[in-house]
Amino acid sequence: MAPPAPLSVTREWLKPDETAKELLVRVLTERPFLLLPPPLHRLPFRVGNVVEIVGTSPCAKTLILIQAAINCILPKEWKGVQYGGLGRAVMFVDLDCRFDVLRFSQLLKRRLIGFRAKVKGNDYELFTVCMRRFLYIRCYDSLEFLATLKTMHCRLQKEKETQAGGVYLLMIDSVGAFYWMDRALSSSSGSNGRKSLSLQCVVETMVQEIQRLLSVHPMLVLAAKSASFGDKQSTTEVIRNPGKRSYSSVLAMDFKSGPQNSLHREYMPSVWQSFVTHRIQVRASDDNSKHQNNSTYLTEWLLPWLKFSDKFIINDDGLLVIL
Amino acid sequence: MAPLKSLERDYPLIDSTFQNFCASHGIFTVEDFLIHDLYLLAVLAEQHNNSEKLKQGITQVLSIIESRCRPWLNGLELLDDVEQNKHALSTGCERIDAFLQGGIREGYLTELVGPSSCGKTQVCLQTASNVARKYSGRVMYFDSGNSFSSKRIVEFVSQMSDPANNQANRTIQQVMKSIVCHSIFDIFTLLDLLHQLKNSLRSQMGCQVRMLIIDSISSLISPVLGGSGAHGHALMVTAGFLLKELAHENNLAVLVTNHMVAGEVGVSKPALGESWKNIPHVRLLLSRDHVTNISSMSILKHPCLATGKSAEFVIRRGP
Repeated sequence: MAPPAPLSVTREWLKPDETAKELLVRVLTERPFLLLPPPLHRLPFRVGNVVEIVGTSPCAKTLILIQAAINCILPKEWKGVQYGGLGRAVMFVDLDCRFDVLRFSQLLKRRLIGFRAKVKGNDYELFTVCMRRFLYIRCYDSLEFLATLKTMHCRLQKEKETQAGGVYLLMIDSVGAFYWMDRALSSSSGSNGRKSLSLQCVVETMVQEIQRLLSVHPMLVLAAKSASFGDKQSTTEVIRNPGKRSYSSVLAMDFKSGPQNSLHREYMPSVWQSFVTHRIQVRASDDNSKHQNNSTYLTEWLLPWLKFSDKFIINDDGLLVIL
Repeated sequence: MAPLKSLERDYPLIDSTFQNFCASHGIFTVEDFLIHDLYLLAVLAEQHNNSEKLKQGITQVLSIIESRCRPWLNGLELLDDVEQNKHALSTGCERIDAFLQGGIREGYLTELVGPSSCGKTQVCLQTASNVARKYSGRVMYFDSGNSFSSKRIVEFVSQMSDPANNQANRTIQQVMKSIVCHSIFDIFTLLDLLHQLKNSLRSQMGCQVRMLIIDSISSLISPVLGGSGAHGHALMVTAGFLLKELAHENNLAVLVTNHMVAGEVGVSKPALGESWKNIPHVRLLLSRDHVTNISSMSILKHPCLATGKSAEFVIRRGP
C-alpha cells in the first residue's frame, strides 16, 4: 500500500481551481455561441453541436453550407469596413465530390462588392485572405474519409498556430454519400476477432473520430445529407396530389407536406442519428407561383421541432429568405 | 489495402513483434487500422514490455496513412487549379456552348437525359468530333448500344471545316485517330475499363485523354438495379465516383447519357432513380420536336445556372 499523501498535497487538491465566474468566462470564450446566416438563423449554436441539413436533390444544401462558410471566413472588420463575419477558418470535407469553387468565389466576391460603397481597392487582398481560410479536401470512398479524419488533428493544430484562433466550422457534404458502397461491403471473415468492414463499423468509427476531434478542437459540425432512398423505387408512401401534373413537374419536386413528414426516412445507423444535435429539412416548394422565375424552397426544423418554416429563393447573390 | 507484413521492408519499425501485437487485436492490414480505435491500441500497448517501440510503430503507420492522403487545399489553390486546368470544351453547336457558358466542362460529370430518339447520341457524336478536332488529346467513346457511327463523325467534321479539300482529309484522319471507341455491354466491363484508364493516366503512359463519353450509361446500370440487394446500387455509385475521380484528377470532361422511365401519374422521369441524382455535376434534359426538328435542352441541375433554364438548337442532319 502506498504511504498516505502529506497533508499539504491533500489540501492543494481540495482547493478549487476556478470560481464559477471564471469558468463561465472561460467556457464562453473557448466555446462561444455562433449565429449562422439564414436559413439557419433561427437557433443559436455552440461549438460542439452537430447540425444535419437534410433534403432531396436538387435542393440548396450545398449552397447553405457555402453561405455559412462565407460568413465564417469574412472578417468582422477590415480596414474600417464592417463585414460582420467570424474571421475564422472553415474545413470542408467533400464526400459528394461536386463542390464548385467558381460559384463559391463568385458568391464571396459579390458579398465583398456589396460593401464597396465604403472602400475602394483592397478587395482583392481581402479576397485572398478569406479564400486562404477555406480549407478543402475530397474523399472518393469511406476509407479515404476515415484516413482523413484520423489525420486531421495535426492539420487542425497547425491551423490554430498559424491563424489567430483555430477552425470554427467543419462541413461534411454529404454524409450519406458512401451509403450504398458501404452497405454492399462483404463482411470478410469475422473470425479470429477481426472487425469486419461494414456500414455500421464505418459510421461508428466516423462518429468516434469526430467526437475526439471536437473534444480537442471545438468546432461546429454542419453535415448535409441526402434525403432517404429505399431499396426499391417505392413512391407509394408519398401522398399524391392529382391534378397538378405538367411537364414542369419533372423539373420541380412535388412532395406534399404531410403532417408527418412522410418522405424523410432515416437510413443512417442510429449511432449517427444520436450524434446529431440539430436537424433541419430543406425541400423545393410545390408552390406553383414562382417568385420572379426562381423556385422557392422551404426549410423546416425537425430537431428541435419548431412549428414554422422559412421560405427562400436562390438568385445570383446566393440565398435570399423571403417572408 | 496493404497487409502490414508488406510494409516491413520499407519501414523497419513495423517488425514481427509489432505485427503480432496487432494481430492479437485483430489488425492485419492498413484497412483494419482505419476502423480501430488507435488511442485504445496505444493504451493496450502500454501493458507490453516494449511499449515504446509499439507506440512508435503505431505512429509510423499513421504517418504512412497521412502520406497517402490527399493534401488539404485552400480556396485560392482550388481556384487556380480550376482556372488553369479545367476548361470548357466546345460541343460544336454554338447555342449549346453559349447556354452552358462555354461547353462541357473538364472536371465535371455531365449527364444528358432524354426520351429515346431525342438526339442524345447525335449530341455525343458531334461533341466527340468537335473536341477531337479542336483540342489535342484523345476522346474515349464507350458505346453500349452500337450507336457509334464513324460516318456521322466524318459528316460533322466536314460541316465544321472549310472545304479546302486537302486540309479536310487530313483533319478527318486526325480526328478519326483521336477517337477511341469501345463497345461495352455490361457494368463489369465498364468498371474494368475505367480502372485501366485510371491506371494508364496515373502512370502518364500513352497520350492525354480530353473527354470520356459513355452512351448510354443507363443501359449498363439498369439491368443490375432493382431487386432487394444493395449490390446494384453499390455498383452504380462506385461507377459514378470512379467517373468523378477520373474527371477531377485528370482534368477530363465526362459525358454520359441516360434514358427516361415512366414516373408517377404518367410523367416521365430520368432513369437510375434517386441515388443517381446526386452523382452528376450537371444534368441536362433533352427533347426534340420531330416535326420541326428543333431540339431543346433544359437544366435539371447545374452548380451555377438556375434549374429550368432552357435553350433551343438544331443538329444538322447529313447531306
